[in-house]
Amino acid sequence: MMNEQANDPLERLLREDARRAVPDQGFSVRVALALPGAPRPWLRPALVAASAAIGSVAAWLLAPAGTSLLQGFLDLARLQSQTPSALTAIALALAMAVTAAVLVAEEN
Amino acid sequence: MAERPEPADAELVHAVVARDDRGAFALLVRRHQSMVRSVLRRLAKGDHGLADDLAQETFLLAWRNLASFRHDARFSTWLYRIAFNAWLSEARKRREVLLDDPGEAPVTELADPKLPDPARLDLERAVASLPDGERAAIAACYYADLTHEEAAKALGIPLGTVKTHILRAKARLRARLGEEKP
Repeated sequence: MMNEQANDPLERLLREDARRAVPDQGFSVRVALALPGAPRPWLRPALVAASAAIGSVAAWLLAPAGTSLLQGFLDLARLQSQTPSALTAIALALAMAVTAAVLVAEEN
Repeated sequence: MAERPEPADAELVHAVVARDDRGAFALLVRRHQSMVRSVLRRLAKGDHGLADDLAQETFLLAWRNLASFRHDARFSTWLYRIAFNAWLSEARKRREVLLDDPGEAPVTELADPKLPDPARLDLERAVASLPDGERAAIAACYYADLTHEEAAKALGIPLGTVKTHILRAKARLRARLGEEKP
């Protein structure tokens, strides 16, 4: 019976056709994205980065007149950390460090 | 260093149910997408777009109902049942599907023992031309690799009808593929 089946061309054709794998071609990803409550991996890092950018622009706009980021870094290099420019530079560096830490945590 | 063996379906199902592990579910999808899409392509008469929509629906339903999977059958069999029901419900929206109708043409009239060169055959087109019940039986027993008993249970028809469907389908395929001989 088994030999009969193995020698049957149609049987062989059907088995061979059934064994042929359908290439994924992004199907699995589409299913993952369609799952209910699927996390959007790009959303959180994007929000963090956008918040940091908005915060930096706001800080730059609200900084006292004559404050310059370049001057801030120069002041820091001269160990003068209490000048408005130096404080702005420190705030920006802190914001960038927090953003990077959050992004690295998300990545892991 | 020895590679870690692929986790079994049961382990992955447990990971999804217990920990909402989407990575484990993604692995299940990657592992079974070929069978599900292949079966649905046969059921949908070669309409790959419809088959893929139904395949996506199948996996979404599986995700929602995974906690009800009792491990009394293979995961692939359970998945096949969902896929088949998704197709059935879609087919019923369009027209009535008769799975239990063994048809009228006697098998002997259709049988043709000789087949031309398999490389020249368009099996997908030939399977698409089968009546619904016969196509469903072929899809279950060959493309989902179910036994006749499993197919009968999944299709909700008697075992004898599955065997008749397979017999008639193969006779029709031989006749159809024989006709395509140049």
